[in-house]
Amino acid sequence: MVTINLFMTIQMAAAIISFLAAILVVSVVVFLMTTSGREEDKTSVKHKVYKMRGRYFLILGSCIIVLLFISLRLLPYKSFQGKADEVVTVVATQWAWKMESGISDKNPSQFIGSNEITLPPQKLIKFLVTSADVNHNFAIYNSKGEIVGQTQAMPQYTNELQHVFQDKGDYRILCLEYCGIPHAYMFATIHIK
Amino acid sequence: MLQISPVEIKKQRKFVVIWSITFLIVFPLLILLGLLMRMNQGEMIKIGMDKFYMMMTLHGLGMSGLLFSMAFAALWYLISTRYAKLNIGLGYFVYVLILLGVVGLAIAGLMGKFAAGWYLLYPLPFKGATWAAWSTGLSIISLIVLGVAWLAGMLHVIYALAKEYGGFTNLLGWQYLGRKEVKRELPPIVMIATISLIPGVIAFLAGAVFLVMNLLQYFEPTLTFDPLLLKNLVFFFGHTLVNITLYCCLGWVYALLPEYTGREWKVNKVLVYSWNATLFFIMFAYFHHLYMDFVQPLPFQVAGQLASYFSAIPATVVTMFGVIAQLYHSKVKWGIVPVSFLIGVAGWAIGGFAAVVDSTIAVNKILHNTLWVPAHFHTYMLTGVVLFIFGFLFYLSHTKEEQYKDKFAKFGFWLFVVAGHGFIATFYSGGLNSIPRRFADYKGIPISSTHYTGALLAQIAVYCIIALFIGLFIMYISILLKLGKRRQIPLSQLADG
Repeated sequence: MVTINLFMTIQMAAAIISFLAAILVVSVVVFLMTTSGREEDKTSVKHKVYKMRGRYFLILGSCIIVLLFISLRLLPYKSFQGKADEVVTVVATQWAWKMESGISDKNPSQFIGSNEITLPPQKLIKFLVTSADVNHNFAIYNSKGEIVGQTQAMPQYTNELQHVFQDKGDYRILCLEYCGIPHAYMFATIHIK
Repeated sequence: MLQISPVEIKKQRKFVVIWSITFLIVFPLLILLGLLMRMNQGEMIKIGMDKFYMMMTLHGLGMSGLLFSMAFAALWYLISTRYAKLNIGLGYFVYVLILLGVVGLAIAGLMGKFAAGWYLLYPLPFKGATWAAWSTGLSIISLIVLGVAWLAGMLHVIYALAKEYGGFTNLLGWQYLGRKEVKRELPPIVMIATISLIPGVIAFLAGAVFLVMNLLQYFEPTLTFDPLLLKNLVFFFGHTLVNITLYCCLGWVYALLPEYTGREWKVNKVLVYSWNATLFFIMFAYFHHLYMDFVQPLPFQVAGQLASYFSAIPATVVTMFGVIAQLYHSKVKWGIVPVSFLIGVAGWAIGGFAAVVDSTIAVNKILHNTLWVPAHFHTYMLTGVVLFIFGFLFYLSHTKEEQYKDKFAKFGFWLFVVAGHGFIATFYSGGLNSIPRRFADYKGIPISSTHYTGALLAQIAVYCIIALFIGLFIMYISILLKLGKRRQIPLSQLADG
């Protein structure tokens, strides 16, 4: 399993990149608006802008290649995952989560599990996530209210989500796919002890 | 050479004015739904979960449909008055069908409490539904009616342009790639319209398959379909619809901005390569909506990220630098139209960056279905597409002199822009704080920080929406006072082929 330490949360990285991009865009707008009073021949402007565009193209192209190289090694899918220490079956229903250790061979509609489960820290846990009715989304929140992992719960399919719980404590499961009127009230708890 | 008579232009103008007034009536009503939803999330009012999700469904379907319709109507107007003859009878037929579809959806929502979300994520419309069963059927049929209307309109525009410009490949600008001299110049708006509408037609066909499958299940409940297939179909349809709404708007930016800068904006090889690449990327970027469906084949997931990343190249390198080349040291007078276009392009760029960030699979596993998602699409819809539309409405209703003088409208515009970005900032903050989207309220969340942060951000959003409404109201006064007035047809609107 490939891991790259970014020294910051994904949320923070997303915030910094997006904010810098927004600042850049706003700066260009302000620059264009404040300097448009001067008149310059369109051929000369074209020459300048095209030159800058060429440089921008090279920078953007290089950034895209580097970012693809890094990010495509961090995929959450099965073929990029390691050997799990423990397996948990998760079945979503309208509007509750059912969890049980081990692999279940029951039909999702007959699956009986609990909305609470206790798991060990620092172990690679594999969640086999499916649904008995409609689409749901199994999202794991830590005690600080940050999402640490998620996958869809889709009927007729089983998604495999792997996660290592670094810290002890209670992690909450929220449904992040709209699944009907009580969707915002569908919770479960994972105790890490 | 094409000749379009002043009588025809007058008829087409009347048609687009009818569209514009329809837009101006429906748009604030849909914002009002958004306001009520944020008030409920902010615990300032209590509307009930069933009503919340009914509003969410109407807001999502309504906004995406309305903005596409207005973008398409403006495109229709500019094409029909300059570049090709379009059948106005068909235009009115499309308009009436769209109205019928909208009335159907409104009845399904307001009377039947239909609340399956804009995307009717299969099999939700048929399982655990608390809304009236008939409202599901009515919604599906209404969406089919809307799809037929849009499809007819899009096919007619493509056909009329192909007829005028000597074939379909000419519309894509391929004649610029050969060594032969191009006999007839292709206006950029024609190429962009084609490149927007082709994926539109394909996506609407995918949407039609999705809706017919749903309709079959509605009439025969024992049927079941593959939920992953249907999810692919609906997101291909929905993502493409939103994407081409923006591209339709860019079509008229290419056509109208040169009227203010005095610098022509012509099709050349780079533009052709760029927009043809865009046509390709539009078709595959939608896969990024299914990243969290781990069972989706891996090549599709990777294709989603590649298409999303690479789509940034033509968008920024060609169109945004094109806008810079238009405006830099141009001595443009900053009337409300060029300002709307520039700030709209900025909104598109900011939202686009945020979208590319979220289209990274490794990031999406954290941001998926949080408020980051409505954050980025509201950025390029509310502070992109909507500004382009208002730019067009001012172009339609005001002479250039009136645009420069109307400081009141400019004040309303800037208030709208600032409040709009403030409103969107609450979504971005929500996404970064892992606040889930599509939650009627956050009261039940067993993590107090998530509950309180979500509610607080929603409250701030409410004040931003109120400010945004004031800005909107000011622009409305300015537009409505002039929209109905008879205008002399400017020479630039007579056919230039």
